Amino acid sequence: MTAREIVLKTKDVAAGYGGGDIISNISIDVEEGQIFTVIGPNGSGKSTFIKVLAGLLHTRVGGISIKDEQITPLAAPERVAKGLAYVPQEYNVFPNLTINENLRVSTEFLKRDRCATGEQRERVLNMFPEIATRLTLRAGHLSGGQRQMLAFACAMMAAPVVLLLDEPSAGLSPKFVAEIFDRIKAVNRTGLTVVMIEQNVKEALRIADTVMVLVNGATRLSVPASEIGSTHDLHKLFLG
Amino acid sequence: MVSYLVTILSLVAIISILGLALNLQWGLCGMVNFGIAGFFALGAYTAALVDLAGAGTLVATVAAAAVCGIACALVALVSLRLSDEYLAILTLGFGEVVRLVVLNEEWLTHGSLGLPGIPRPFWGLIPEEQYEYWFLGMLGGVILLLFLALEKLLRSPFGRAIRAVREDDVVAATLGKDVVKLRVKVFALGGVIIGIAGAFHSFYMTYIDPSQFSAILTAYVFMAVIAGGRASNSGLLLGSVGLMAVIEGTRFLKDIFNIFDATQLSAIRLILIGLGLILLLIFRPQGCFAEYRLKIKKPEKEPRKASVQTETRTT
Amino acid sequence: MTAQYIFNGFVSGMILALPAVALTLIYGILKFPNFASGAMLTVGAYLALIFNVYLGMPLLWAAIIGSLIFALIAVGIDQAVFRQLRERTAITLLVCSMGVSFVLENIARFIFGNGARSYDLAIARPKHFFGLRINNEQIITAATAVAAMIVVYFILRHTALGRAMRAVADNPSLAAVRGVRRESIVRWTWAITGTLTAVAGVLAGMDRAIDPLLGWNYIVSTFAAAILGGLGNPVGAVIGALTVGVVEETSTLFIPPNYRQVVSFLAIALLLILRPQGLLGAAKIKK
Ligand SMILES: Nc1ncnc2c1ncn2[C@@H]1O[C@H](COP(=O)(O)OP(=O)(O)OP(=O)(O)O)[C@@H](O)[C@H]1O
Ligand SMILES: [Mg+2]
Repeated sequence: MTAREIVLKTKDVAAGYGGGDIISNISIDVEEGQIFTVIGPNGSGKSTFIKVLAGLLHTRVGGISIKDEQITPLAAPERVAKGLAYVPQEYNVFPNLTINENLRVSTEFLKRDRCATGEQRERVLNMFPEIATRLTLRAGHLSGGQRQMLAFACAMMAAPVVLLLDEPSAGLSPKFVAEIFDRIKAVNRTGLTVVMIEQNVKEALRIADTVMVLVNGATRLSVPASEIGSTHDLHKLFLG
Repeated sequence: MVSYLVTILSLVAIISILGLALNLQWGLCGMVNFGIAGFFALGAYTAALVDLAGAGTLVATVAAAAVCGIACALVALVSLRLSDEYLAILTLGFGEVVRLVVLNEEWLTHGSLGLPGIPRPFWGLIPEEQYEYWFLGMLGGVILLLFLALEKLLRSPFGRAIRAVREDDVVAATLGKDVVKLRVKVFALGGVIIGIAGAFHSFYMTYIDPSQFSAILTAYVFMAVIAGGRASNSGLLLGSVGLMAVIEGTRFLKDIFNIFDATQLSAIRLILIGLGLILLLIFRPQGCFAEYRLKIKKPEKEPRKASVQTETRTT
Repeated sequence: MTAQYIFNGFVSGMILALPAVALTLIYGILKFPNFASGAMLTVGAYLALIFNVYLGMPLLWAAIIGSLIFALIAVGIDQAVFRQLRERTAITLLVCSMGVSFVLENIARFIFGNGARSYDLAIARPKHFFGLRINNEQIITAATAVAAMIVVYFILRHTALGRAMRAVADNPSLAAVRGVRRESIVRWTWAITGTLTAVAGVLAGMDRAIDPLLGWNYIVSTFAAAILGGLGNPVGAVIGALTVGVVEETSTLFIPPNYRQVVSFLAIALLLILRPQGLLGAAKIKK
């Protein structure tokens, strides 16, 4: 693999909610165009880590930078403007807004350069035909899978540099799971960098470039995806 | 001067009894009561009417306690499964209803003229010039009894259940129906205490009218509870003494600002009380005496959102 | 003359609709029922009084200037007080709004005293339509309230600000990661709330005497209207307000008019027992 530019970098990050640190000492380097997957047991701090990246949770120690620019002090709205788009694990759409309003509100408050053009909107709607046909429906009436698609679409509207996905396949039927990973791979091929959390290890490894295993809030392993199956025993990593 | 002090202390005592009630309802159980002035008026009028009918002060007190307890239970029942904001709105509304009924049902309450000549307990048994002291002593006794009873209650299984419910939503959820009953009981018990306070107010004043029960009283009681540190009964007593000292202190404003008329002076005092409440909530949510207590209550809530954070540490 | 009562009820319901919607907007964004809403209404009425009576402006201009100033005051109160308590529980904010209420009401009392005042407004002869007696103030009230409702509805449905307000109400942290700055939305919401409440103050001041307790007379009814509409739903609040207005007014056929707020209280209690999600509560999707 050729050395590509590092778009997202964290250095010794620690964070938590009120009490002690939930995650600590996390350093990652995400190269441009990669799919970087974080796996780990329930409660190991994966969502916490991605919330720190998105700016929803205060970074207690360490730094985060995007394309060599420090973004640690920035709050969530400013980080979107810097090109980080985040799809939360749950509650990822505005249920009382229509699909169309959900899409619009995703970019209306960003700085000029990320404000969705008609073209970007077209592109996103083409990518997600199932929501494009029902623009006036309230998002609260959508099924789980459709919500996931809408949330994904909303994140894409801002033409992000890095897409942060928290368990995109959670709660989806197996058919949908394959489908959503295909979409992720598809947007990744257009050059978008993806940081993704997954429980669905097998499917996730299919598309991942790099895998980080997070256990008890600490990095247990961070290797190219191809190595995982052959040289490491996942069970052992997860448990011990 | 001494008799002035006795008067003030008697008022402090009555506010403190109300504070004990609010501490039980809000401090311990999280059930906010914005209708304290109304429930208090209900108790005072009930006691006054029963007393004036010749039933005697003991019966009058029991009647006031019962009526207020039932009223509180009903209000709590209505908002049974709803969030605490609804209870707040209902209690505020109930207070307003009491005020309107007292003002308008003149055949019963004499409207804004008020009820004069309310008989006092043990009147005639005690020399008249010493009565105020005895009354204050009586109030002290009532507070002591209530204080001990409440402390004992908190250590009983009932009290433990209350605390468990307040501190752990999961426990609250799994107990389900029992919690609902518990909350109604606690709120009613608070009502009983407010009723007792109302009765003693009537006996103390011997004359009651609607102006004695304005909403500002509710603010006083909240301030006493917050200043004393929510859920701490001993803090509360300190809080109400301190509060009364401040409030009475502001009476001397008129000597300084003699350009203002009576309405303006009372407006200034009420502004100061409003400000005091706000400042306490912002700067002293744990109360003014928290550091003197052994155990400091944990902060009310963890920060939820990072969108307002500014301080960060970078490498 | 039941029709007359129903008509009068509609008009007083329209006055009520403004603070009820204001209450709902704040509840949506900050998740607490603002007990200062009554005192804010009072101050709004007095601000217009200053421009109208003391500076001799026509009431229309006095009302416009007064409500714009009050919009700024509302934002100022938020910055000085409620902003300090953003991460606290709804109950803390509620208790605090009671403090704010005392401060506002008594500033009005300090400056204007307890006496009743009224606007300089030419008295016009009431008109008669289809047997209804309609006075000038009622026409002004209805027109103003309807116009205000349309503007608020337009803002909420068709502007970026409105979408953001609804988005923050639905899910503030999701709104943050979509680039919406909550604090600026909160400020705008207070500005709209302040304007609405102050306009309601002027309408209320045309309907009855202006005194420091003006807004207090509406507080229970306002809450009744907002709860009837399912707290947090502006359209519901308007319908709730009209319902409360009509019910209160027609109730005066049977019980003394002083008991209007009692009627509202009973309406809240009944509703909470029978249908706690509000009459229109189902329209709002939780989660
Ligand atoms: N808002 C919060 N406040 C306090 N603690 C939290 C909060 N959210 C998560 N935690 C705690 O942080 C720890 C890590 O949670 P996190 O959601 O990051 O795990 P996760 O790896 O995403 O798990 P899952 O696979 O189940 O999604 C858990 O112990 C959890 O209880
Ligand atoms: Mg998670």
